[in-house]
Amino acid sequence: MGIILPILIFLYSPFKGVKAFDTPDDGGGSITIKWELLKEDSSVMRYDVYRYESLKDTGVLIGSVLRGSNTYQDIGTKDGKQYWYRVAAIYPDTVLFSNLSSPAVSKAQWFNSKTKASLFILLFFGIVLFWFTEEAKKGKRTYIRKIAGLEAVEEAVGRSTELGKPILFVPGIGLINDITTIAALSILKRVAKKAAEYESRVIVPNFDPIVMVAAQETVKEGYTESGRPDLYNENDVFFLTSDQFGYAAGVDGMMMREKPGAIFLQGTFYAEALILAETGHSVGAIQISGTTSVTQLPFFIAATDYTLIGEEMFAASAYLSKDPLMLGTIKGEDLTKLIFIIIIGIGVILETFGIHIISNWFSIF
Amino acid sequence: MKREVPLFITFITGILIIIALFIPHKPFGQLQTTFNDWLIIVGGFTMILGLDSLLLHNWEKIKRKKEGWLSAAFLIASFFITLFWGFGEGIFFHRNPFDASATFLRYFYTYIFVPLQSTMFSLLAFFIASAAYRAFRAKDPNSTLLLSAAALVMLGRVPGGQAVAPWIFAFVLLLLAYYFFNESKKTSGTQQTVYIILAIITLILIYPVFYILLHYLNGIADWIMNIPQMAAKRGIWIGISLGGIAMSLRIIFGIEKTYLR
Repeated sequence: MGIILPILIFLYSPFKGVKAFDTPDDGGGSITIKWELLKEDSSVMRYDVYRYESLKDTGVLIGSVLRGSNTYQDIGTKDGKQYWYRVAAIYPDTVLFSNLSSPAVSKAQWFNSKTKASLFILLFFGIVLFWFTEEAKKGKRTYIRKIAGLEAVEEAVGRSTELGKPILFVPGIGLINDITTIAALSILKRVAKKAAEYESRVIVPNFDPIVMVAAQETVKEGYTESGRPDLYNENDVFFLTSDQFGYAAGVDGMMMREKPGAIFLQGTFYAEALILAETGHSVGAIQISGTTSVTQLPFFIAATDYTLIGEEMFAASAYLSKDPLMLGTIKGEDLTKLIFIIIIGIGVILETFGIHIISNWFSIF
Repeated sequence: MKREVPLFITFITGILIIIALFIPHKPFGQLQTTFNDWLIIVGGFTMILGLDSLLLHNWEKIKRKKEGWLSAAFLIASFFITLFWGFGEGIFFHRNPFDASATFLRYFYTYIFVPLQSTMFSLLAFFIASAAYRAFRAKDPNSTLLLSAAALVMLGRVPGGQAVAPWIFAFVLLLLAYYFFNESKKTSGTQQTVYIILAIITLILIYPVFYILLHYLNGIADWIMNIPQMAAKRGIWIGISLGGIAMSLRIIFGIEKTYLR
């Protein structure tokens, strides 16, 4: 009876086509189960998936999916071991079992094929960057257009000093693993250096304790490089809170009390961006903002005097240091962008005329 | 050594994370999760540093009676009340202070913390209005274009906007025609002819604009959001992605060192 029943189910059940296979592009320990949806799928309540470790096994329920779904991922498998699967369609009054799948074995892959496009772009971009870096090493000069927001750093610090007011640097609510925060710290170093030259005070309220430690080091280094380590006050670079609106309230309060002459809003910002920028505007400070949060850029453009738009933030350290190697990478970035623009332009024209060469080529990734 | 060791750690960590993206096989596949776990653990410990900094900063304010010292005192008092209430609930009443039904969470979090957050968030409505007022002033062709696009999108998204928009735009065009006629009176020759032609064109445009907005305003608003707005956004995204990759490679290969001491 143990063998006859599965054979009878397989021959007479309308529920067939259950396939089990190793989940592609993963680190092992997972098998994907797929089945053809039943014609009367809308009457099914759910599908239960059973796993069998041998053909004599009675099966274990490993999970369920709602009607309309025909895939389940079993993430509890042992690599190299065979598993069989059966799916049960649960109706309000009856249960329909599928055939038993053919055996499947999970294993880890050595390459994630879904990342082909990323690998291709990374390799291409890497080669371009290093080519331009080598050119810079040979002494080839790189032209970089003027970035108004970065040019204004000195003006803002100078004006703040003239007014006898402190400078407020807000590094946003990003964490240290956020590349935008690191870009903001590069700008902070420049601001701190300038502030030390003018003997001005820089206040840096932080959202994250790790960013606070990094900001303290950055400001200290800026003051030291300007030859005024004595002016550095660790209490001016402090932790405020890790709550988004608590942080906004705290920084707003600081703006109202300290009335800074210059405000730098640099880093990752979300809904608090406009609250901060408008308060800064109301105290009459010169404001330089910069973020990679695309949704907040319009607010910064509307409310602050200068805005570093997205990639300009990443170019800031190269722009301010004028280091030829760093400028070389900016040149490489621009060339890659130009190539992308050309490909997109050609793609748009070809697609308009129904020629799919480029989209077909990209689909292989 | 003070610079070399961090640069070496950054290089190794960066390369391993890149490899982990392409190789899911052990031991690489798990690396990102492992590193993230380490970050969380280190982050947890740095919270002590953060609290130390916060308390010291506010204590200094109280000590020197600086402006806003009362707020600083309130902050320190709130901090310790919260801390001891949490401990007290566990020690004296044997309740889990992190339980959603605990009095500490129920009263302090639900009735103080959440309303304060909502208050801050609600300020955004007023700030949007003041920022929009400054941004949407038609002082040059670009800002006029921005104002028109914004007006179309706003009216296309609000209830009843489609019924009101044709009248608003018709009225604006009428005012514009009046302005051109007025200007034509102040000038002469070719300039006068140009102003008169502009006024006539503006008057002619009233009916088609009225008709189009009456029937297609929602479609126009969707088109602005889905095509020009999205194109600009994607352009910025591509720039940010490439800039991010370039910056990461600069950091990994030690070209960018500004974040180090």
